[in-house]
Amino acid sequence: MKVPVSWLREYAAFEWPLERLAAKLVFTSCEVDRIVHRGVADTDGNLGRFLVGRVVEAGKHPNADRLQLCRVDVGEGEPRQIVCGAWNFGTGATVAVALPGALLPGAEEPLGEAKLRGELSRGMILSERELELGADHSGIMVLADGIEPGTPLADVLPLTETVLEIETGFNRPDLASVYGIAREVAALTGAELAPPPGSDPAPEGDEPVAVRVEDLEACPRYIGRIFRGARVEPSPAWLKARLLAAGMRPISNIVDATNYVMLALGSPLHFFDISLLAEEQVVVRRAAKGEKIVTLDGHERELAPSDLVIADANRPVAVAGIMGGEDSEVRTETTDLLLEAANFDALTVLRASRRLRLRSEASTRFEKGVDPYAAEQAAVYASELVVALTGARFTGHTDVRGDLPERPVVQLRPELADRLSGMTFPVEEQRETLRRLGFDVDGDRVTVPTWRAQDVTRPVDLVEEVVRFRLEEVPSTLPSRSAASVQLTREQRLRRQVEDLLAGAGYSEAYTWSLVPVAEGRLALEEPYTVEMAALRTDLELGLLESAERNRNAAVEEIALFEIGRVYLPADEELPDEQLHVAAITEGGFFRAKGALESLHDALGVPLGSTERADGRAARTGYGRIAELPGGWGYFELDLDALFADVPDAIAYEDVITFPSLKQDLAFVVEESVAAGDLIAAARDAAGPELRDLRVFDVYRGDQVGEGKKSIALAAAFQSPERTLSDDDAARLRERIVAALGERFGAELRA
Amino acid sequence: MDATALENEARTAIAAAADADALEELRLRYLGRKSELKLALREVRDRETGMALNAARTAIEEALAGRETELAAAAAEDGEPFDPTLPGEPLRRGSLHLLTQLRRQVEDVFLGMGYEVYDGREVETVWHNYDALNQPEAHPSRDPRDTFYFDESTLLRTHTSPSQIRAMLAQQPPVYLISPGRTYRRDALDATHTPVFHQIEGLAVDRGITLADLRGTIELFVGAIFGPRDVRMRTSFFPFTEPSVEFDVTCYLCEGSGCAVCKHSGWIEMGGAGVVDPNVFEAVGYDPEEWSGFAFGLGLDRIAFLRHGLPDLRLFWDNDLRMTRQF
Repeated sequence: MKVPVSWLREYAAFEWPLERLAAKLVFTSCEVDRIVHRGVADTDGNLGRFLVGRVVEAGKHPNADRLQLCRVDVGEGEPRQIVCGAWNFGTGATVAVALPGALLPGAEEPLGEAKLRGELSRGMILSERELELGADHSGIMVLADGIEPGTPLADVLPLTETVLEIETGFNRPDLASVYGIAREVAALTGAELAPPPGSDPAPEGDEPVAVRVEDLEACPRYIGRIFRGARVEPSPAWLKARLLAAGMRPISNIVDATNYVMLALGSPLHFFDISLLAEEQVVVRRAAKGEKIVTLDGHERELAPSDLVIADANRPVAVAGIMGGEDSEVRTETTDLLLEAANFDALTVLRASRRLRLRSEASTRFEKGVDPYAAEQAAVYASELVVALTGARFTGHTDVRGDLPERPVVQLRPELADRLSGMTFPVEEQRETLRRLGFDVDGDRVTVPTWRAQDVTRPVDLVEEVVRFRLEEVPSTLPSRSAASVQLTREQRLRRQVEDLLAGAGYSEAYTWSLVPVAEGRLALEEPYTVEMAALRTDLELGLLESAERNRNAAVEEIALFEIGRVYLPADEELPDEQLHVAAITEGGFFRAKGALESLHDALGVPLGSTERADGRAARTGYGRIAELPGGWGYFELDLDALFADVPDAIAYEDVITFPSLKQDLAFVVEESVAAGDLIAAARDAAGPELRDLRVFDVYRGDQVGEGKKSIALAAAFQSPERTLSDDDAARLRERIVAALGERFGAELRA
Repeated sequence: MDATALENEARTAIAAAADADALEELRLRYLGRKSELKLALREVRDRETGMALNAARTAIEEALAGRETELAAAAAEDGEPFDPTLPGEPLRRGSLHLLTQLRRQVEDVFLGMGYEVYDGREVETVWHNYDALNQPEAHPSRDPRDTFYFDESTLLRTHTSPSQIRAMLAQQPPVYLISPGRTYRRDALDATHTPVFHQIEGLAVDRGITLADLRGTIELFVGAIFGPRDVRMRTSFFPFTEPSVEFDVTCYLCEGSGCAVCKHSGWIEMGGAGVVDPNVFEAVGYDPEEWSGFAFGLGLDRIAFLRHGLPDLRLFWDNDLRMTRQF
C-alpha cells in the first residue's frame, strides 16, 4: 500500500524524521519497501519558482496559429510574456506558472527562457499532468479566481508529496488504510491520534431506502444512503493528487470519493446510479444459476449460486465486495445516487474472486476480513465528501445488520510475555502499549478493538502486541538443556557414505525435478504445472538421462552423474510410499555402470547378489537394476531403503593373511547360452569356503572353441584360514569344480 | 703394509667406479671383513700404525660415500628429461551438489548443538501441512493457484513445517530437530523462482524456551555458516508461531554497506521464525502451559544462490558439469 505522508500526518502528526519512522515500522509493524518522493522537487528553492499567475492579456501568437501569446502577472509588478499552446483560458484566468530555473516533475533539466517562433517566453503555464496532479493534458490548469498573483503555488496546490510504500501481513487487514497506519504510528511515536475522519452532513429528507439482505452471514452489514441532485465532475486538485500519490487513478468526484474513503478507513464502498436500479431496490442474495453480469471492466461473467451478489428487483448489479456492474454505474449525467457501505464475509468474497478470476482493491481488502464496524464511519465520511464535492442532498438512510461480532475480551497474563520472550515487561508497560493500540485495559481484563477482533483472541496474542515494539532489544541466549547425545540416523549416515563414494568415483551429484509427465502408475497432480511437470516420478531415470544428454549436447567430456532422491509409489494408503533411491548414469555403457555399482556394494559390505537378465542390455540385481540406455549410457538405480537394511553394522574380519593362497587359472568351454554368473555360483557351491575368490578374466569366442560356444577363463584363489593348503588340496578343489561344471553345464576344461 | 699407498690405490679405483655395483665391489675389496685393511687392523699392535690404518679407513669410507652421491645424481639426469611442471595423471573427480554441501553444513552445525535430523514426507495431508499448523482456511497460500493438490485432502508440502507435526506426534518433549527437504509451490519457473525448492525446518521444544533462545540459536548458526554477522528480527506473521518474526543477516557481500545483492538495504532475508503457537501444541497433544518452543524455516536455494553469486536458480537443476565441476 502507498501511504502519502501528508495524509498520514493529518491523522498522526508524528515528529520523528521519516527515515527513522520507516526503519522502526519495519521492526514493529510492516515491511517498508521504500520511500518515494513525487511531484515538484523541494530542493534548492525549487518550490519558490512555482507561482500563481493571472493572465492580463492573451491573444494569438503573431507567427503561429496554434500558440497563444500571453502576459501573465506573477506579482512582480511587470507582467511576464509567456507563450502557451493551450486555448482553454483567456484574459483574467488564474493559472499555475513555472518560472525559468524551475525543475518540473520528471524533468532532467530546469526550465529555460526560450524564443518560440520569434517571441520570448519567460516561463510556462502548467497543466495538471505536468505537476503530477492529474492525468489531464488537454489544457492548462485554471485555478479558482481570487488568489493573489505571486502567491506560492505550493500554498494552494499539493505540489510535493512523499510516499511510504509498505506491505502488510495477512493478519493485519487493519493496516490496509491510512488511518490504520496512523494508529500504529501514533502508538509507536507517542504522537496523538486524531479522531477518525468524517462527520455526517445534515439529512435533507427521510425517504425510505429499500435494502433487503437475504444472507446476513455473508453480508452482516449493509448501510444504504440516498443522495439526490449530484453534479458529476472532475475532483479538485487536492483529491486527485492524493489518489495519484496512493497509486489510484482519479475518475470523477463520486468515484474518487469512494476510493478516497476506502484508502482512508479501509472499508470499501460503492455508488450506484439509483435511477438505474429497478424499483430503486437493493437485494443482497446468492446468484441464481446461469445469471450473468457485465462488470465494470467490461467483461460478461456467468455467476454461480455460491457467489453473493447485489441485485435490484430484477437482476444482479454488482458482485458483492468485488466489482460493480456496468449498467448501474455512475455516469456523467447521473444525479441520484445510492451509497453502499457494507461488509462482506471474507471467505465468500475469496471464493467468488477465485472462481471468477476477478480481483479489485475492494476484494483484496474483504478477503482478508474488514472490520464490520468500519462501514459506519466510511458511510459518514463518504457522505460528507459527496455532499461537499457534488452539491448533492442527503435524503435517506438505512442500516441493515446481522449479529456483528462482539469485541473479544482477553485475559492479560503479564508473566506470559516474560516467559515467552526471555525479557522483562513490567505490567504497567504492557497495559500502556495495549492502550496506545486502542485496547481497553481494565486490570488484567483486556477488550480488543473491533479492528483487531480477528487476530487477537488469546493471551498469547497480547504477548505479540507487547513484544513487537521491543524486538530489537531481544537478548541472545541458548536453550539450557542437559546433555543429549545426538547423531545422524543410520540411514542418514549411509546416505552420506554413498554420496561421498560416488563423488569420489568421479560421479557428480545432480538434482532433477520430482515432477515428470503423466504416465501409468504415476501419481498425477489435480492441476498439472506443465505437461512436463504433471505427476510424481517413480524412478530417477528421466531426469538423469535428460541431464546427461544436455551435457553431451554441450560437448562436455567424461559425463557421469548421480542422484539420491525420493520416488513416490502409489500405495493403498492415503499417502504414497516415498522411497529413497540412488541412480547413476555414465558414459561407457552397461559394464561401466555395473563396475560402479559393484564398488558401491563392496564399500557397504552387501553382496551384489544374482544378476538376472532383463529385456535389452539390462539386468535386475538384488536391490535395483542396471541398464544400457539409448545413447550408450550406462545406468543403475537402487532402492536405498532396502539396501541400507542389509548393510552389516560391523564387518567381521576374515583371516586372509596368516596362510598363503594358491592361485590357479581355469578355462571352460561352454555353450553360448551359459551365463558366467551361473558358472561361478555353481563352482562356489561345489568347492565350498576354501574357494576364496573366483572371477572371470577373459571370454574367448573363435575357431578354437567352435561355433556357438565360448571359453570363459576364471582366476581362482584357494585359501583356508586354518592351514596352508597343499598342491593336493588345490587339485582336489579344482577337481570338484571341473566335475560340477561338467555335469551341470557340459563345461569342458580347456587348459 | 703401506696405509698411504693403499688409500691412494683405493681412491683411484673409487673415482673410476662406473656404477653402484662397481662401487659395492670396491667397498668389499677395501673395507670388507677379509680386506687387507681389516686384516691389518685386527693384527696391529702399535699405536702409530693403528692410527695410520684408521685414518686410511675413514678416508676410503668418505671417498665411497662421495662417489655414491655423484653416481646417484648422474643417474637422475640420465634417461628422460625431468619437468615437474607437467600435469599429473588425471583422476576424474565428481562433486556433491551445492545444495547437498550446504545442507550437510547446516546439519552438522545443528547436530553439534544436539538437534536430530528428521526426514519428513513430501506428499502430505492437508491436515499436516495446514490445519495442524493453525493455518486459517482463508489463507491465500491454500489456493490451488499456489499449492499442488492431488485431491482435496492430499498435496505436495508447501513448506517443511509439517515435519514439526509428524515429529511431535511421534515423541514427547523435549524436542530438538531440524528437517531438511524438498518443498513445492506453484511458482513461476524463472531466474529467481522454481516450483520445487529446498527448506530446512528447525524446532526446539522444552521447558522455558524463549524468543531470546531463538535469537541466540540463529546467531550461532549464522556465524558458523557465514562467519560473524549481525542478525535482526522483524515482526511478521505465520499462523504456526506467535509472536512471529523474520530474520535478516548483514549482507555477506557488502558487509552491510549496501549493494545490489541486498538491494541496498545492507540486509539479506534468511527466513521466518517465531515462538510455537499454542494451537500447534494442542494439535499434537502437548501442554502449552508446561512446554514452550521456537521454530524457524530457511530457504536453502536462496542462501546458496546468493552465497555463490549464481545468476539463475535454474542452474541448480540443469546439472551442467561445466558449472558443477567448479565446486
